[in-house]
Amino acid sequence: MKSPIRLERRLKQPRWLNWAIPFISLLGALIVGAVVLLATGKNPLDVYWRILDRGFLSKRSITGTLRTATPLAFTGMCAAAAFRLGVINIGGEGQLYVGAVGAALVGLWLGGSVPVGITIIVMVVAGMLFGAMYASIVGVLRSQFNTNEIITSLMMNYIAGIILNYLIFNSRSYWRDPRSVGFPSGKPLDERAHWPSYELFGFGVSFGFLIAVVAAIVLWIIYKRSRLGFEIGIIADSPRAARYVGIRTKWTIVAVTAMSGALAGIGGASQVGDFAHYLDAKGLQLNNFGYTGIVVAALARLNPLGAILVAVLLGGLTNAGYSLQGPDFPSGLVGTLQGLILFTAVAGEILTKYRLRANRAASKAVTA
Amino acid sequence: MNSWSQACDWPGRTEFGGWPHTYYLFNAPAISGEEILNKRLSKKWLPLAATIALGVGLVACGDDNGSSSEDTTAAAEATADTTAPADTTAPTDTAAATESSEAAAPAGDWSANFKPWEEGAAPVACGPKDGGALKAAWVYVGPINDGGWTQTHDEARQKVQEHFGDKIETTYKENVPEGEQVSQVIEDLIADGNTVIFGTSFGFQDAFLAAAEKHPDVCFEFATGYKSAGNLSQFYGAAEDTDYLTGMAAGAASKNGKLGYLASFGIPEVVRGINAWTLGVRAMNPDATVKVVWVNSWFDPPNERKQAEALIAAGVDVLGMKGIDSPATGDAAKAKGIPWAGYNRDNSANYGDVWLTGTQYHWDVYEIPRLQQVLDGAWVAGNYYGNIGDGFVGLSTYGDLVSAETRATIDAKKAELAANPGGEFTGPIKDTAGKEQLAAGKQHTYEELMGMQYLVEGVDGEIPAG
Repeated sequence: MKSPIRLERRLKQPRWLNWAIPFISLLGALIVGAVVLLATGKNPLDVYWRILDRGFLSKRSITGTLRTATPLAFTGMCAAAAFRLGVINIGGEGQLYVGAVGAALVGLWLGGSVPVGITIIVMVVAGMLFGAMYASIVGVLRSQFNTNEIITSLMMNYIAGIILNYLIFNSRSYWRDPRSVGFPSGKPLDERAHWPSYELFGFGVSFGFLIAVVAAIVLWIIYKRSRLGFEIGIIADSPRAARYVGIRTKWTIVAVTAMSGALAGIGGASQVGDFAHYLDAKGLQLNNFGYTGIVVAALARLNPLGAILVAVLLGGLTNAGYSLQGPDFPSGLVGTLQGLILFTAVAGEILTKYRLRANRAASKAVTA
Repeated sequence: MNSWSQACDWPGRTEFGGWPHTYYLFNAPAISGEEILNKRLSKKWLPLAATIALGVGLVACGDDNGSSSEDTTAAAEATADTTAPADTTAPTDTAAATESSEAAAPAGDWSANFKPWEEGAAPVACGPKDGGALKAAWVYVGPINDGGWTQTHDEARQKVQEHFGDKIETTYKENVPEGEQVSQVIEDLIADGNTVIFGTSFGFQDAFLAAAEKHPDVCFEFATGYKSAGNLSQFYGAAEDTDYLTGMAAGAASKNGKLGYLASFGIPEVVRGINAWTLGVRAMNPDATVKVVWVNSWFDPPNERKQAEALIAAGVDVLGMKGIDSPATGDAAKAKGIPWAGYNRDNSANYGDVWLTGTQYHWDVYEIPRLQQVLDGAWVAGNYYGNIGDGFVGLSTYGDLVSAETRATIDAKKAELAANPGGEFTGPIKDTAGKEQLAAGKQHTYEELMGMQYLVEGVDGEIPAG
């Protein structure tokens, strides 16, 4: 039996579609969500207003949204950077942990002994280096031995989690607070190693988020305007063609994976410097920042600037989701709404490249 | 640690709470069938979100997905087999437990176990200002139907709501991950007008302390922590006493004298539990040994189950646990038909054929009078350590495996511990190395209990990074 509709590749992709489709998708999600909400006896308008209010409208909620968005922006860029090359690095999770370990190490070591600015810069660099080194293991395995990076990067996440547990729970390491008699926890950083936060337009912006914005611009320039970005595009399209024209494919794979890991690493450093102010072995692992970053990258269509926007959107939705929850609003329903929005956003994506056509044999009435 | 499914069970992935909530897709907690059905209906769209977030993980973890839905079915069937639905059984059991503790010992006064941080401190005015209802909120690390820790907290919240009726409006936030997110949730609750906030996971403590300093007109109540502020209280109780009694039931149930114990973290609270349990075991079964494994997580059902299965494979014939939120250990015990002593919650209805007994918390014993103090404008921050005497901790219903004779012995000891909390730690007590930790006739002080860092003779294992 023939399906009444079929997908047909668009010959031209009008630019306006790139903007229209996400909005139509969102609208579709809201309508389907409204049906679900009505079925469970909620007023959809109230619910949507609360999502807007608690995620995006007040100064307090924007401050919170940006805080929640900060790690997602980094892990989103981490995934996007590697995916563009066709390297499916899903190890942002582990690279973020290792970045946090690195930043906490230098943060604790330098503490208040050097001027404030230097400690913070060194923490960022340490997060980058640790994340990059950890990710380059995956990159080297892929480029030298053609190992499947999906599996290796996933496995490296578990290893990083075990390393965190070891440093805080199973050893008296440099990172662990020797005074934590009750529950083992990380050694607190000196106050002078805490990252600053700024008041912009009335809401608080963490230093980490500003770095994320700068990193996104740098990454965008690398991909759009640099030779490396051009080569990455060729490798992604055709690795063999890239090799024939003399592009150092292997080197590029390692370099891009390392760059991707560096981004996640700064995300980890920001968790230590901006928020926790110690190596929070459990908190880091409970939030799934790395895996959510894959969603961010997919929704942003691997565009680093888009990753920032999507991270803010997801950050707001996350906070609003907790705000909705309560005795008369089960967390499952919150997950349903969040899932619907994500699902339609990804599903709508296909319409930018394809159009719906009615199959003539089935019906002539429907045209797209 | 080689198989795919094991690899998928690391704490970071299985502990839910990320975005979106992928937890239920992989790990269905084995709880009563009705609860599962109720939850399932509202979660049927979840796989959409999860598929996107963990597209790759999904492939890798496909096996897990399949097996957990089998578990769910099994649990649902098991519940269907019991004559009464779990929901109606639970309150009856609680009532029974309360009655028996009242019969065993005169109900003590909770306030005897509460000490303000500062004598004569002025009360914090966090009551309703405009004559409306007092708004109180609970923040949970797990799902409210985890079959253990979080569920007991939420049951206490419901009792609070029932007790006060329209004088108090309660709410909760579940699946809140530790880390920065807690601060956001607290801020949001305060923006909603909540003036009393309860925290129930140790990892929330720093966020609670920071929020307490930022919002001096909000009362914060924290379970299982130790940090203090003028408007931040700590509450917990002498679970080691009931752990000892649970150990007695386990010791009596063991035939080969080899018992297994799942523990979360090597912290004093859990170490006390292991020691008390082992002392209880050896009170009934003097040569028995207790093999301890560390799960390094409060809530990781697949890993808990695997560790329990490994213990059974190593030859233990009774299982116990401490600091473990879910009843996954009971699933492993049930599959192999060996006795299980639980923790947190009365699971006698769902695990009838293997259930012994377990430590149970009655958080409402503390929460109700404290909220009354808020309403009366008499709330001051301090430290509360409840016990059997005031009914804060108690024993769950005995399972059929516990003989009448054993029950009598345990009840007698229970009455003794109700009058003398911590009495199970009476010297001489030696540690695993044979060194005397407590001289004959001596009892540990409160501070020694709070900082316990040795394992008693009879434990097979060691404290990580000891």
